Amino acid sequence: MLRLIVRRVLLMLATAIAISALLFFTVTQLLGSPAEMMLGQDASPQAVAALNAAYGFDRPAASQYLHWLGGALSGDLGRSYTTQQSVAAAIAERIPVTLELTLWSIALAVIAAVVCNTIPVARGVLQPAVTVANLVGITVPNFMLGVSLIFVLSVKLNLLPSTGWVPWSDGIGVHLQHMIMPVLTLSAYYFGAFSIVYRAEYANVVQRPFIRVAQAKGLSDWRVAFRHAAPNAVLPVITFVGVSIGQLTGGAVVTETIFSMPGTGRLFVAAIEARDFPVMLAMGMLIVVGVVVMNLLADIGYAIANPQIRHGS
Amino acid sequence: MIGIGRREVLTGLTGGILAMAAHAETPSRGGTLTVGLSNDSKTYDPIFSVQYSERYVLYLAFDTLVKYGPDFSIRPELAESWETSPDGKRIVFTLREGVSFQDGTPFDAAAVKWNIDQRLDEKVNSPQRQVLAPIVASVDVVDSRHVAFNLVTPSPVLFSLLGERTGFMVSPTAWQQRGPVFGTQPVGTGAFILKEWTRGMRVVLERNPNYWQKALPYLDRIIVQDLAGSVIGVQRLLTGEIDYVDQLTPTDVLPIETRPGIVLKPITVGRWYFLQWHVNQPPFDNARLRQAFAHAIDRDRLNEITMRGQGTISDGPTPPGLWWYDPMLKSYPHDPARAKALLAEAGHPDGLEFVLSTPQVSVFQQISQLLQEQLGAVGIRLTLQPVAASEWYARVVSGATNLTPTRWTQRADPDGLLYILFHSTGFANTMKYKNEQVDALLAQARTIYDVARRRQLYAEAQRQIVADLPMAPLLFGAEYAALRASVNGFAWVPDQIPRFRDVWKSG
Amino acid sequence: MTRPGRWIGAGLVAAIAIVAIAAPLLAPQDPYASGTDMLALPSTAHRLGTDDLGRDVLSRVIYGAQASLAIGFGAALVAMLIGVPVGLVAGTLRGVIDVALAAVIDLFIALPGLVLALIITVMVAPSLRNLILVLGFVMWPPIARLVRGQALAIREMLFVEAARATGGTPLWIIRHHVWPGVLPVVAAQFATSVSFAIFTSASLSFLGLGIPPPAADWGGMVRSGYDYLAINPWMSLAPGAAVSLTVMGFYVIGRSFR
Repeated sequence: MLRLIVRRVLLMLATAIAISALLFFTVTQLLGSPAEMMLGQDASPQAVAALNAAYGFDRPAASQYLHWLGGALSGDLGRSYTTQQSVAAAIAERIPVTLELTLWSIALAVIAAVVCNTIPVARGVLQPAVTVANLVGITVPNFMLGVSLIFVLSVKLNLLPSTGWVPWSDGIGVHLQHMIMPVLTLSAYYFGAFSIVYRAEYANVVQRPFIRVAQAKGLSDWRVAFRHAAPNAVLPVITFVGVSIGQLTGGAVVTETIFSMPGTGRLFVAAIEARDFPVMLAMGMLIVVGVVVMNLLADIGYAIANPQIRHGS
Repeated sequence: MIGIGRREVLTGLTGGILAMAAHAETPSRGGTLTVGLSNDSKTYDPIFSVQYSERYVLYLAFDTLVKYGPDFSIRPELAESWETSPDGKRIVFTLREGVSFQDGTPFDAAAVKWNIDQRLDEKVNSPQRQVLAPIVASVDVVDSRHVAFNLVTPSPVLFSLLGERTGFMVSPTAWQQRGPVFGTQPVGTGAFILKEWTRGMRVVLERNPNYWQKALPYLDRIIVQDLAGSVIGVQRLLTGEIDYVDQLTPTDVLPIETRPGIVLKPITVGRWYFLQWHVNQPPFDNARLRQAFAHAIDRDRLNEITMRGQGTISDGPTPPGLWWYDPMLKSYPHDPARAKALLAEAGHPDGLEFVLSTPQVSVFQQISQLLQEQLGAVGIRLTLQPVAASEWYARVVSGATNLTPTRWTQRADPDGLLYILFHSTGFANTMKYKNEQVDALLAQARTIYDVARRRQLYAEAQRQIVADLPMAPLLFGAEYAALRASVNGFAWVPDQIPRFRDVWKSG
Repeated sequence: MTRPGRWIGAGLVAAIAIVAIAAPLLAPQDPYASGTDMLALPSTAHRLGTDDLGRDVLSRVIYGAQASLAIGFGAALVAMLIGVPVGLVAGTLRGVIDVALAAVIDLFIALPGLVLALIITVMVAPSLRNLILVLGFVMWPPIARLVRGQALAIREMLFVEAARATGGTPLWIIRHHVWPGVLPVVAAQFATSVSFAIFTSASLSFLGLGIPPPAADWGGMVRSGYDYLAINPWMSLAPGAAVSLTVMGFYVIGRSFR
């Protein structure tokens, strides 16, 4: 078990470093001279040379990368080209928004997926409706979902604020009001995806003898479904949450854009548009590290829960 | 000049009385004004400010030495009055008494001198230096209330500069103490004190209780809420989340035109939209090709579709209503047949292809698509290349962008726009336009105080510019600010930056 | 989601393909011609109203099917051209090559597709061709992993062992034993890839990185219509519905083969 975890952690570190190097070299090579970008094409060669020296752009790429990696490991991610703000501070300022959005969305998606695919009625008469809802969740792009929600709930019914974000300190009610549509938008896809995983596992679980026993004891359908079957079918969903984190960041980028929320997703898009290399790189790495760590946790969690893997390897 | 200055002050006073009569209600104190703004501010240090949106906050936290009236006239602000020497090269400002910065530093002649010296100092490297250095040789402290500007040449332009970025008075003590963080914790003499700036979210400003105008400001707090775009602000205005949003096109305001509880304030002088190119390089160094562009563009249709007919077509850089507007000036009329003929004469009978950089702002995207349609009809085929709004101007300046639609707001002095755009050394002359006659006219006009003579010189310069076509003039935009009806006392200044010092909320 | 799903999916895809091919016949108006009746609500002249430049929304939605299908099929094809050979080689050969390729595949799978596409697109400048290449590049790793898994399973089968023992070259084995076994999986994955490509390219367009205007591009139309939801909502909702149905059609087909 320990050996498995050590191996996984080492693999994770290797992956993160490989991706960071890949990201660093692609971005620096494709972007061209940062000095030219910052000073403009008419800049004098002296000015370009001075800036290159100041930022270390004149050193070989490998040395630049090591310098960046060293800084990153000690928490120094450089300064944004456009705002001159510290990248670490910019990310720290915005990450609570993104984290809150994703956590609510995952929670809602997991609960909705489990409930909709466990309730006996939903597995019976309402099955087609649940299937269609899952399908809609997976295939309707979240920008379309967000725009439709704004149209119906804000423009037509005037029930919710269309866009924006307010901090907790301005009032819990207002804060949550602004979260409703973004969370619905982001969770729809995961509701669909988790449902598929959960439903497959649930179908396996209900074949198992202990469910038959529970049914034979005369327990109600609801009790069997929620007390006996559901807890045993939910594990793959939890691990799937781990591996979905990468896709989730993509969804968060779009969702934050639709609802103009001040999260890391919008920071990332703005950095990409302005070719703000330090911010792009830091955000890229943050996403990669998040994905790799969550994958690792999913693996470990699965190994702990599933003895076959634990002993098998 | 002295006489003119005084007369303008007088008109200002009568204007003020009329405005008060219109608002019979007395202003009430208190309340929070929430302003929606697509905010790309990088710093609130006036000495380093370059972004358009920064001025929304700068005019709240800082005061300028002089201010603009609703007709761009120059009015007293931190300077109570001024006198110009007979040769026009020394201007002595008398400063308002009893003014201090928000950190308690007294505002006096030494502070003014320090402020201008910073802008002129090569080591500080303020972006305002290149405009100010050719005008101001030095600044002397006469006594604590009097400060003298020694000019290189007589310069009517100085006054307009002192009403915008160059004129914002920064607290010297705070600036030196705070160093690089001054841009996020600015200290001025302004009516509001900046309390919080969370990038991408909001700027919070609180009432300055020691403001030099005792009754002002009326509001307790102003929150500048970040918007991803002005149109989004319309929806938020309806839900009451914000009280004010501007930069709205006639299309944007369609859903709120007749809404009770919402008031629309049209701007008084529109932004100038034009299509620019590198006039010094092939193929645009060919006058016939440029004329073909101008004849192919249907400005009336552009106005009708993008501005719902509420804009004004442009025949030159200056819109009607400003004293340097020349009603006789006409650009090339819409004439596709003539455009095709000129294109053939220019050596392109089969037409030619261009990439048109288009910033990702709705109105530019609309104009670009219409230009593509209109120019396409005569054989000039455009491929649109969308560029992030934040990145676009940097690319125009660096020369990476050749053909692109552009827009500029008007300045209080004709020199403000015409010199920087069309003088061969103008810092915003990204068209690389150079005409010695125009250079001479612009250089001469900026050193004369006599308005009639200046009007004549600028008319001549603009005629030459439009004949040369370093760009194709398109139109002057129509724009609105939308306010909740509870917001009172708002009036536009033609530079299109809202001032909220005199604004108050009712009910 | 098996039998009926497949038919519904096939129906949707066929309908969209017909719309794309017959666009010039079906569209009531020129999708690029501006007009002075901007943001009009649906009427007999304009069934879905007009956009901010007075163009007919219905005609633009119809023409939008062309770009969407081109990107979907193009990108899926590119992804197949990279992913299938990599997967086959990794799965058929043993040893260092397999380990190395598997590591590369895992590396790329860890990167979120939309984010990667976003970074690359902004650097290469968006155009129809570039979008196809970028999305194809983003989508190859899952295909390679799937093909590798299948190939590994097939390789272990007896008849392949026999072929190897009698001296069959790897290429020969791939062609005669592995490829026929992998084909059905590849076919199902192709449909899924098309749906993912259309989904992702529409998201890129919505973020402002799609085919440049004035192209009739669904994601871009949703984006520009978003500003005018309160005036003519169809400018945004109609192309949004079109993307959703197209993605759904391909997705359902792909899933029904699992």
